[in-house]
Amino acid sequence: MSETNGFEPKIVAYVCNWCTYLGADLAGTNRLEYPPNVRIIRLPCTGRIDFNLVIKAFEMGADAVLVSGCHPGDCHYTAGNYHARRRWILFRELLDTLGIDMNRIHFAWISAAEGKKFQETITEITEKTRALGPYEAYRQLCEASS
Amino acid sequence: MSQTLSHEDLLKLVDGCLGQGKVVAGPTLVKPDLCAYAALRASDQLVLKDFIHPANSIKGFFFPRHEPICVYRLNGNDVELEDVDPPKTEQIIIGVRPCDAAALPILDHVFNWDYADKFYNERRENTTVVTLACTDYDDNCFCTSVGLGPAAEKGSDAMLLPLGDGGYEVRCFTDKGKALFEGKTTPSDKTGSASEGPARKIDVKWIEEALEDDYENPAWKTISLRCLGCGACAYNCPTCHCFDIVDEGDAAGGLRVKNWDSCQFGQFTVHASGHNPRANQGQRQRQRIQHKFRIYPEKFNEILCTGCGACTRNCPVALGVLNTLEALRAAAAPDTSEVG
Amino acid sequence: MTSDIQEQLRQTCRRLLEEEKVDVVIGYGQSTADGPAYPVFITAPQDVDRLVWNDRCFNNLTAYLTRDEVKSLGKPAIVVKGCDDRALVVLEQESQINRDEIVVIGVACEGVGEPRAAKCAACDVHMPRTADETLGEVPNGPADLEAAYAELDAFMAQSPEERMAYWRGEFERCVKCYACREVCPMCYCNRCIVDKNRPTVIDTSAHVKGNLAWHVTRAFHQAGRCVGCDECTRVCPAGINLRLLNLSLARAADKHFDYRAGMDKEAAPVIGAYREEDKEDFIL
Repeated sequence: MSETNGFEPKIVAYVCNWCTYLGADLAGTNRLEYPPNVRIIRLPCTGRIDFNLVIKAFEMGADAVLVSGCHPGDCHYTAGNYHARRRWILFRELLDTLGIDMNRIHFAWISAAEGKKFQETITEITEKTRALGPYEAYRQLCEASS
Repeated sequence: MSQTLSHEDLLKLVDGCLGQGKVVAGPTLVKPDLCAYAALRASDQLVLKDFIHPANSIKGFFFPRHEPICVYRLNGNDVELEDVDPPKTEQIIIGVRPCDAAALPILDHVFNWDYADKFYNERRENTTVVTLACTDYDDNCFCTSVGLGPAAEKGSDAMLLPLGDGGYEVRCFTDKGKALFEGKTTPSDKTGSASEGPARKIDVKWIEEALEDDYENPAWKTISLRCLGCGACAYNCPTCHCFDIVDEGDAAGGLRVKNWDSCQFGQFTVHASGHNPRANQGQRQRQRIQHKFRIYPEKFNEILCTGCGACTRNCPVALGVLNTLEALRAAAAPDTSEVG
Repeated sequence: MTSDIQEQLRQTCRRLLEEEKVDVVIGYGQSTADGPAYPVFITAPQDVDRLVWNDRCFNNLTAYLTRDEVKSLGKPAIVVKGCDDRALVVLEQESQINRDEIVVIGVACEGVGEPRAAKCAACDVHMPRTADETLGEVPNGPADLEAAYAELDAFMAQSPEERMAYWRGEFERCVKCYACREVCPMCYCNRCIVDKNRPTVIDTSAHVKGNLAWHVTRAFHQAGRCVGCDECTRVCPAGINLRLLNLSLARAADKHFDYRAGMDKEAAPVIGAYREEDKEDFIL
């Protein structure tokens, strides 16, 4: 299966409480298996997700980051995900300019009813990241002394 | 009879030291148009002409901008501490301006005052400072106003004086300097030259008295109006030494570190209660000048300034110590309506 | 030309101060003709001859309008170049200034710096757009944004690894002096996020990790707000190419949302607002 000598990628998923978190829960109750590599961090809304959290995840050793929330129009707080979407569109450009590996940062809309989508998304991201290998470049950056 | 060294032989000396695993640093072009002191990877990076003063100072080689001093690990309710030892790597800094070298004996006092800072002292002991005498100066230089000059020997282990033909006269002052150049120089009857330096621009005795007599001088408010309160002056200054101690880590543990800090930052003197005794820029600028020209001299008999001009060159609004002192002097003149 | 503008500027400011229309003029001064120009604060009519106008007037003086020490001087008149004037628009959009309480004196600007600053090649605000009166006349062409973005395009042609290596080299030199923050008119927070320590969000340490976190944060907090005055880049003692970071976000705002900071007071801000029709192609 994998040629990466047992490397287990660390995936950090910042998810909103009302949609994606419940979607993950649904995957669980339906016994849909997904890789245990993901660390799920629950926030009230994607609108609260500060881009610093993405940077922090990479600083602390994440190999890939997922940010996921309610579909546009379904936000529990009406417009949080619209604000988030704006931020994501711009933030991706900044990350790209910095040379951050864009294959390691993912955004998704996963609703509370989409247990299957959660399973598929996590599985896909985990396998993609396993193939990419550990995110050495960012770790090396963090370990560089002044 | 003088001792001389060609530029090529100096570079060979640098390569030799690099080959021995020593840190060799000096002025270098960190960007095509920016000369700064930095560690060298090869001798051809060393720049010893076509600049007045590098953008920064050499204090980072003795008092780094970020230094771990202790490791801590959290184990339930227990905290395990582990000391960090200062590095013992030998350092040679070549091409140091005399104003930067002179800062080291000045800083020695405060780093050994109520506590002997092993991190600073270890680096001081393991570093050889080779100065490059100045053949020119600019409007920002005022070393001659604080008792120094283009060929000052203070803090220097050995000095290079340009010969005009690309080579240098070498004068060794200390054992470290002699050890570095032993057998590398050639006797000659040529002597290197240095500039006379700028004319004296300020009277430090007058400054010290004015600072003592008139602490509440209202001029501070206007003098400092354009100051933006960044750290560009303090961080590039060879004698500024304020630092902040912070813990950086996570739930498992981390590092206690010592980082540079600047008295010009708005939050520098904020108390835990929220009170800030230096709440405006006038008070903060006053403190900087007081510290350099009255408090440090009273304590250690040394002015905490070597007249290098780095503060003014780096200042976003061209302020800096010299301009501040001149503004203070102008404010004291009777028929002036100078404002910020 | 510039000496005419300088003379007009002095006369205008003398009149404003004599007629007590303003309490202070925030402008540029210079100690010697070949020295740097720097911000001055003129409160007496007889001091207006200290005001200068030349191609060394780099500072974006609008940064002073949100500072307590300057606000306490009273009603200001402020000298602005076109790029500085854009900052005024953003400050007004964000309710940081009361535009009616400021007299804005625009100066026609052909460009600053010798050699010309990089930002000047793409400038379309040689004539400040919202000044109460503008001194001098410089032809105003359309923005040559392609000229500005060319630098960014060349950079983005490199591989991600090369780009990251470049920024690592840049951020190794950062000493966290915050000159970039203090000189920026848009950085007016009383308590900057990097100064927070309960909890610490961004490491204050000047190591590459902490420097990257700081610059990413500041660049992103400027997304859609940075007017491209490039003062941050000019004042950085370590010569870090902040302009490139800011340019990438400015282009993103332009490309995705047709937005340029400080050009239209009525435009909805890029980060503060949203549209249901915002398009993207990367959300799974």
